[in-house]
Amino acid sequence: MKTLVIAENEAAARELAAGARAYADEVVYATFADPVTGIADKCLVVEVPEGQAKEAAFDTFVKILADEDPQMVFFEPTRRLKALVGRLAAHDGASVMTDISAIDEESVKTRYFGGIAERTAKSITPVAFCSAGAGTFKDAEPSGTDVVETVEYVAPAVTLECVERETLPPAEVDLTAADKVVAAGRGFGSEEELEEARTFCKAIGAELGCTRPLTETEDWFPREAYIGVSGLMLSPEVYVGIGVSGQMQHMVGVDRAQVAFAINKDAHAPIFDKVDYGLIGAINDVLPKINAKLS
Amino acid sequence: MKIAVLVKILPDDQDIQVNGDRTLDFSRAKSTVSTYDLNAIEAAAQLAAKADAQLVAVTCGPKSINDSKTRKNILSRGVDELYMLADDGLELADAYQTGRILAAMVQKIGDVDLVIAGDGSADLYAQQVDIQTAEALGWPAINGGTALDTDGTTVTVTRMLETEREVIRMPLPAVVSVAPEVALPRIAGMKDVLAAGKKPVVEFTAEELGGIAAPTIETVEILAPVPTPRKKQIFDAADEGAIDAFVAALREVM
Ligand SMILES: Cc1cc2nc3c(=O)[nH]c(=O)nc-3n(C[C@H](O)[C@H](O)[C@H](O)COP(=O)(O)OP(=O)(O)OC[C@H]3O[C@@H](n4cnc5c(N)ncnc54)[C@H](O)[C@@H]3O)c2cc1C
Repeated sequence: MKTLVIAENEAAARELAAGARAYADEVVYATFADPVTGIADKCLVVEVPEGQAKEAAFDTFVKILADEDPQMVFFEPTRRLKALVGRLAAHDGASVMTDISAIDEESVKTRYFGGIAERTAKSITPVAFCSAGAGTFKDAEPSGTDVVETVEYVAPAVTLECVERETLPPAEVDLTAADKVVAAGRGFGSEEELEEARTFCKAIGAELGCTRPLTETEDWFPREAYIGVSGLMLSPEVYVGIGVSGQMQHMVGVDRAQVAFAINKDAHAPIFDKVDYGLIGAINDVLPKINAKLS
Repeated sequence: MKIAVLVKILPDDQDIQVNGDRTLDFSRAKSTVSTYDLNAIEAAAQLAAKADAQLVAVTCGPKSINDSKTRKNILSRGVDELYMLADDGLELADAYQTGRILAAMVQKIGDVDLVIAGDGSADLYAQQVDIQTAEALGWPAINGGTALDTDGTTVTVTRMLETEREVIRMPLPAVVSVAPEVALPRIAGMKDVLAAGKKPVVEFTAEELGGIAAPTIETVEILAPVPTPRKKQIFDAADEGAIDAFVAALREVM
């Protein structure tokens, strides 16, 4: 079997190429720039002209797919690749399964309703397209050659003009590396109230993340700080949810925490069913008291 | 100008129960509009108002999607007309099937200049229907939009990627999918809901759309995960010593 890996970033390229190796005797890897060598039998570089969106490489990738004829395509689940590779699959009438959490020879698993359930599904088309997030193949090792080829760019019929492009400032904290993680939820009434959460984090040596609404409806946190099915999937030693209701979409992101805590004013909040220790109380009442006792 | 917003109607996840054998019980779950499609409808309504465009909503799914409360919900948000295909052949439809049928609907509606889709559906969240619909239509597409504008012949989209911000311009007709932060859904007033009841709903049949494509994915099973075992020791701050007990548990892991 032959697998094509499409990735924008080095870490994903390595992990997907390693994962592909377990199923395929030939691994070809394609990227836009800065190819990683030694992870595939061949690396293809697609250079998109300045001033165009990377999705403009669609016609070039159609050609790669025809030339390489893989049975499986693994891609990094970035927004751009969901668009580019999803379109390739549609063009081919092939199945796409995004953000798979597990895979075997027969089928893949994806989350259903944000983690309320897991769906086991099978591709029934000749080529299967799958995207897998970090950690799906974490124990596999990539191997390969240093062969790098630049693919001739095929201009698209319609231009996707890139008028502006800027690199966003890097994230200030890396929640994926933190042993202890505190999540602030909508139970926080204002940005000022978060100070109390920061004091708490300092006291227990944790990093502060949040639920999705705090990056969306409010902009109290950068987008990289929200935990859950569509954000960060973590495996910390300790998780503390404060003012978090405990919706599945958030909780799947911390399901693997060794010990979980919650503070919520509602005794019936679903989160109390998903933690080891819970405290029923209002943030502005109990958090200062907890901080005083910890200091 | 005519703008079409793609909307998924599905069971409300708040009412999904897990059975003893870990299968899901949808019997108490009412139909609702997929969460992030509400943001897409709002973005589309704001753009339609600004560009003086007509706004139509397009939805497809199994027969259960066709209930009057959900229809009114969609039509009370600045949408002029609703187009629907309710066919049980679309139960568990995959992105390919959905994209093909939505594209056929957009073509049948006619004269659509811009299709707007949400970030991803609450059930599968595969983030594929936008792009797959675009491919079936043969139109350009951009995802992750956080702001959009149109001059009638092109659409300009600001998009947030993982580590970049881009502004992309493409010619119409085109497809744009939007991230939830693009717009906050409105709270429809009584007047809007009443007016929604009088707006046109056009129901298509699969036949007049050329039929539903064969599936590309077969669902083997859908099962709730085995929950992580937890101690569930809950203290009430109103009780004497509760905070001390909670702090003691915290100290254990510090
Ligand atoms: C497709 C999709 C993907 C999603 N992905 C994610 C994701 O990855 N991550 C994510 O987080 N969400 C995600 N969501 C959103 C998710 O469904 C929930 O809406 C969200 O997690 C709820 O956040 P919350 O707990 O902060 O807010 P709420 O659900 O509003 O809960 C607030 C809680 O705070 C408590 N509270 C209120 N005031 C106080 C107080 N003074 N003191 C103490 N407690 C108080 C309340 O009792 C309540 O339990 C997704 C949704 C969809 C549809």
